[in-house]
Amino acid sequence: MRWALRSAYGLLAVVVGGTLAFAIFQPVKVLPRISLAPSLWLTNQDQRSLTSETLRGQIVLYNFTYTRCGERCAAQTSVLRALQQQLADLNTGSVPVRLVTISFDADHDTPAVLRGFAAGVGADPGQWEFATGDAAALKRAVGGGFQVYYAQAPDGGFEFDPALVLVDGWGIIRAEYRTAAPALDRLLRDIRLVAEEASNSAGVGRYAYEAAHLFLCYAR
Amino acid sequence: MIHVHPVERAWIVMGAVMLAVFAAAVFTSSLMGGIALPVPEAQVDPRLVATPGATSFGEPGLRELAPGQYEARILAQTWAFTPKEIRIKAGSKVTFYFASKDVQHGVHVDATNINLMILPGQVSKLTATFDEPGTYNFICHEYCGVGHQTMFGQVIVEP
Ligand SMILES: [Cu+2]
Repeated sequence: MRWALRSAYGLLAVVVGGTLAFAIFQPVKVLPRISLAPSLWLTNQDQRSLTSETLRGQIVLYNFTYTRCGERCAAQTSVLRALQQQLADLNTGSVPVRLVTISFDADHDTPAVLRGFAAGVGADPGQWEFATGDAAALKRAVGGGFQVYYAQAPDGGFEFDPALVLVDGWGIIRAEYRTAAPALDRLLRDIRLVAEEASNSAGVGRYAYEAAHLFLCYAR
Repeated sequence: MIHVHPVERAWIVMGAVMLAVFAAAVFTSSLMGGIALPVPEAQVDPRLVATPGATSFGEPGLRELAPGQYEARILAQTWAFTPKEIRIKAGSKVTFYFASKDVQHGVHVDATNINLMILPGQVSKLTATFDEPGTYNFICHEYCGVGHQTMFGQVIVEP
């Protein structure tokens, strides 16, 4: 009786102490699960279809632009070019990382135009894809789903809020960068965190990650 | 002396220990500064928030993200919301972003779950769908000075 009680107290202390320690020291850091990413049905620069389903299981960094944007979008493109180079050295285990640039100028940015643009910015086609789709569907997915505002201006250009969105292999938005040129090391860190979570989430490790989500152990 | 059965006493002690632990957990986590309230969406410099071009609140107002889906950026200051009127069609889904230019404000939009504090330096975000046509008042519900009672606005939902 005595020892049963003592061990019950002991167990309680271990559970409570462990939980507290986990919440305070946050040994596992994650990125928040913001919301489900919209479904996409796009055509890429090689006229192949690029959908949210074909991108399942891959970490995808989306950005939104149009090829005639010019100077205004140069900073973002150069951040992505630098990121592409850094990704070659980043070990993300078995989880592929992909950059997807979505053009909302469906009329002008045909696959041929996108291919030329991709070559111009030095994109590696295996890693960095360029895509566009039906204007109405794009509006629903990019405007409604990713909540990126854009509107066509009278001169044919676009008025838009620059944004990048990081989506994990489960199709969940994990980070949003509502800026023209986010810091490269922040992007790399976030991609690394999502990749680590994906590769360590098998078996018991999953509970550690779920606990990290439960206790809001978010990387800052 | 009241007699308490040992097993019952054990349960009482366990309950008390858990209460103490929860109190300690709340206390330590608030001190550690790691508390992340679900509401603040982003940080914004209150000195720059109303400057056009500096932040997205420089030109507050309603924008269409997709058919039937909007985002409304509303700037709170003593003692007004800018804009103070928003017009949408019934069935529209609106994501509200609020930021304060000066002191702490609050907002509640009638008949929705939008009930937020607007803290200087923070962006507060919530989404609501307006299915029924009508006029939905939103008021500041954090006392913010002598003109506090005049601080309100309206969401007008047209059929
Ligand atoms: Cu107020």
